[in-house]
Amino acid sequence: MLTRRDFMAGSGALAVAVALPLHPAVDADAATAQAFLTAYLEVAPDGRVTLHSPTTEMGQGTHTGHAVIIADELGVDLDRVSVVTAEPADPFRRNGQMGSGGSWGVRAWYQPLRKATAQAREVLIAAASAQWGVPAAECVLERGAVVHGASQRRQGIGALAGAAAALPLPADPPLRPISELRYTGRKVPRVDLPAKVRGEPVFASDVERPGMVYACAHLSPVFGAELEGFDRESASAVPGVIDVVAIPGGAAVVATSSWAAIRGAESLRIRFKPTPHDGLDSATISRQMRAGLADGAVPINARQDGDWAAVARGAQRVIEADYEVPYLSHAPMEPWNCTVEFDADGDVHVWAPVQTQDRNRNAAAAAAGVPAEKVRLHTTLLGGGFGRRLGSDGIAAAVVTARAVQRPVKFFWRREDEFGQGWYRPAQVARLKAALDVDGRVSGLHVRTAGPALSASFGLQGLPPGQLDGSSVQAIRESRYKPAAFHVEWVRVDQPVPMAPWRAVGATQNGYFLECFIDEVARATQRDPYTLRRELLAHDARALNVIDTAARAAGWDQPLPKGRARGMAFVESYGSLCAEVAEVSLREGRPFVHRVVCALDCGSIVLPDGVRSQVEGGIVQGLSAVLGEAVSIAAGRAQELNFDTYSLLRIQDAPERIETIIIESGEAMGGVGEPPLPPIAPAVVNALVALTGKPIRELPLSRHRFA
Amino acid sequence: MKITLKVNGETRVLEADPEMPLLWALRDVLGLKGAKYGCGIGACGACTVQVNGRAMRSCVVPLKAVAGDEVRTIEGLGGEHPVQQAWLEEQVPQCGYCQTGQIMQAVALLEKTPRPTTDQIREGMNGVLCRCGTYPRIEAAVRRAAAALAPKAEG
Repeated sequence: MLTRRDFMAGSGALAVAVALPLHPAVDADAATAQAFLTAYLEVAPDGRVTLHSPTTEMGQGTHTGHAVIIADELGVDLDRVSVVTAEPADPFRRNGQMGSGGSWGVRAWYQPLRKATAQAREVLIAAASAQWGVPAAECVLERGAVVHGASQRRQGIGALAGAAAALPLPADPPLRPISELRYTGRKVPRVDLPAKVRGEPVFASDVERPGMVYACAHLSPVFGAELEGFDRESASAVPGVIDVVAIPGGAAVVATSSWAAIRGAESLRIRFKPTPHDGLDSATISRQMRAGLADGAVPINARQDGDWAAVARGAQRVIEADYEVPYLSHAPMEPWNCTVEFDADGDVHVWAPVQTQDRNRNAAAAAAGVPAEKVRLHTTLLGGGFGRRLGSDGIAAAVVTARAVQRPVKFFWRREDEFGQGWYRPAQVARLKAALDVDGRVSGLHVRTAGPALSASFGLQGLPPGQLDGSSVQAIRESRYKPAAFHVEWVRVDQPVPMAPWRAVGATQNGYFLECFIDEVARATQRDPYTLRRELLAHDARALNVIDTAARAAGWDQPLPKGRARGMAFVESYGSLCAEVAEVSLREGRPFVHRVVCALDCGSIVLPDGVRSQVEGGIVQGLSAVLGEAVSIAAGRAQELNFDTYSLLRIQDAPERIETIIIESGEAMGGVGEPPLPPIAPAVVNALVALTGKPIRELPLSRHRFA
Repeated sequence: MKITLKVNGETRVLEADPEMPLLWALRDVLGLKGAKYGCGIGACGACTVQVNGRAMRSCVVPLKAVAGDEVRTIEGLGGEHPVQQAWLEEQVPQCGYCQTGQIMQAVALLEKTPRPTTDQIREGMNGVLCRCGTYPRIEAAVRRAAAALAPKAEG
């Protein structure tokens, strides 16, 4: 099971699994035309290097990161390296599962890939030195060839791969010094972009198989409702419709084209069984969550530094505020789809845009009634993931459909099901209290969050009662703020709405709660919010450097044009510290962000432009959410089913400028895909509050009126 | 029913449901996968192609409405188009799913407005959604492409 905790866990388990074992003694069989140096890092006879990567490329650029790591450590030109997502295999599992999430793609695999590549380099050199009868120490591998300088001999790695494959691997190969790395730390073009810019068929929805038919799902609009029955004729009357298949949660209409399948699915008269939550709505969920903030509710402890009760008793005053955020949809641009084909050997081939290979392979195997080894999962590039493709909720129906019609099937959801099936970022409420001493200093913080348990919904094992859901307090539990007392707790208020980790997960809502509250405290004590943060971080040089860097670059002390204000926020997640300053004004009564300055300390980096693009993307996605995103629920179902009602940020509302400052502090390599997202919501809200003087305690901002 | 149209300069005769949106005809019948399905209601722009030089949301344009028309898809740009090059130089795409629509929208924008202001770029590109958040780079790439497409010397 892949849980939040697994994603959040430290590197303990990782350290054991680091080595990508090279394949033992594989002969260079001419018939295969490829000499396998390792099971995962292949060097072909033409010298091309292919990494079967443990990561999923969903736009975050990890495949380029991996290509750079390999090209540098091996000593080949970057354009000689290809990266594809591997099929599930032991060395690629972290905590028992293969998947991409938690901003682990580069930081988790940086050292293991370097080591495996160095092993490959050493045996290639050893093979050449044996052929030439010269000491290996006199040979180097550069630009795709082993070179012996003294005798001016040179041999391409493709020609050496076969001999190298038979040699024993060094257990502890030396890594190249930084000075020899040609690509790391420099601006490198992404390896996947040329095909994407040409419009080549790289996505799952582009996969074609001989004899393939198309299946469009018609799923229950009520979360989790089961199929009761359908009127086959209502769909099969549509020209091109071949069959209607019962699937988990509804039916699939199979047809000769996508369009016929869509029309069939729309025409299908279908009935679903009632559920206990057929009347559920957002107001009820909100009321139930807020009841979790009341005194009678039983919290689960998450952090207990110092004695909050004593600090609160001795406080000059205690201020408090309640906050609420809605469910959010991931809304990847590519709606769910996959292609399934049973081959003559009984293997089930699945081409799918998934972030979790094992989870999906297991789900496909269960649906097909075969052992997992019989499922060949081919991970395509993803048309966005953001956590929505961590689950496996769409795979079984595709397998069931392909088995029923005995043909290769492209199975897909309409956009309405992509929005309507759930698996959202959780809704959540929070009550924050600050104890202030006679000097107005923060002597204690008390945070209670309440809401549904993400891990209970998303994790395959659920969450036993009484256990903490880490994401519900994420980024607050770990906050570097250090008042005399800091108490964090959570009240579980489960809901029947399916949830999945959403880019940056619990840090998205909890970063907003804590960072907006810090600004409220600053206002209540007439202090500058940056100064207050400096006080709370006075013990922490690394954190101070991050907020100082952002404040300095943003010109925090500099005056702004009338009608503009700045807001700051600082959130740590996934091993990286991130501070953002937003400059905001109101344009026709709506918030507009002129400028965002981001300071990100992610320890060390591989691709500076890759980091920048993730910062920009995280800020835009986070801004989208805070400005206008919400899934509202009525009659047990989502109300926003397409982009006409679920409001994604468009380019006209994008910030005029985003400035990224990467801080390479030399600390452990942190994540990059997620950490830039959480600070933008509180930074923008804090700027708006500074502008209008009115607290904002519910999101999104589109629900508020600004004069 | 047979419908004739010109796709990327080639005359194609399609035997298909006249109500079938152009998007699905391109993808399923002609095998041109560049235009993407994103919403089916013309709200996201991932399916954007040019019809007679205008950017259209192919997911809501029935085949019968484009009979006899000239359709240009990303495949028709040739791969070396200045807009595609600008997209690479600015390293715009992340997941890339919306980017063929973005590029086709940008091509149409620059054909109509060769030297767009920032506001014109934002207005012209506003119909195409990107979830990865590549908007800052899209804006920069359109500006770069405009400069590349502009005549080198003015009369």
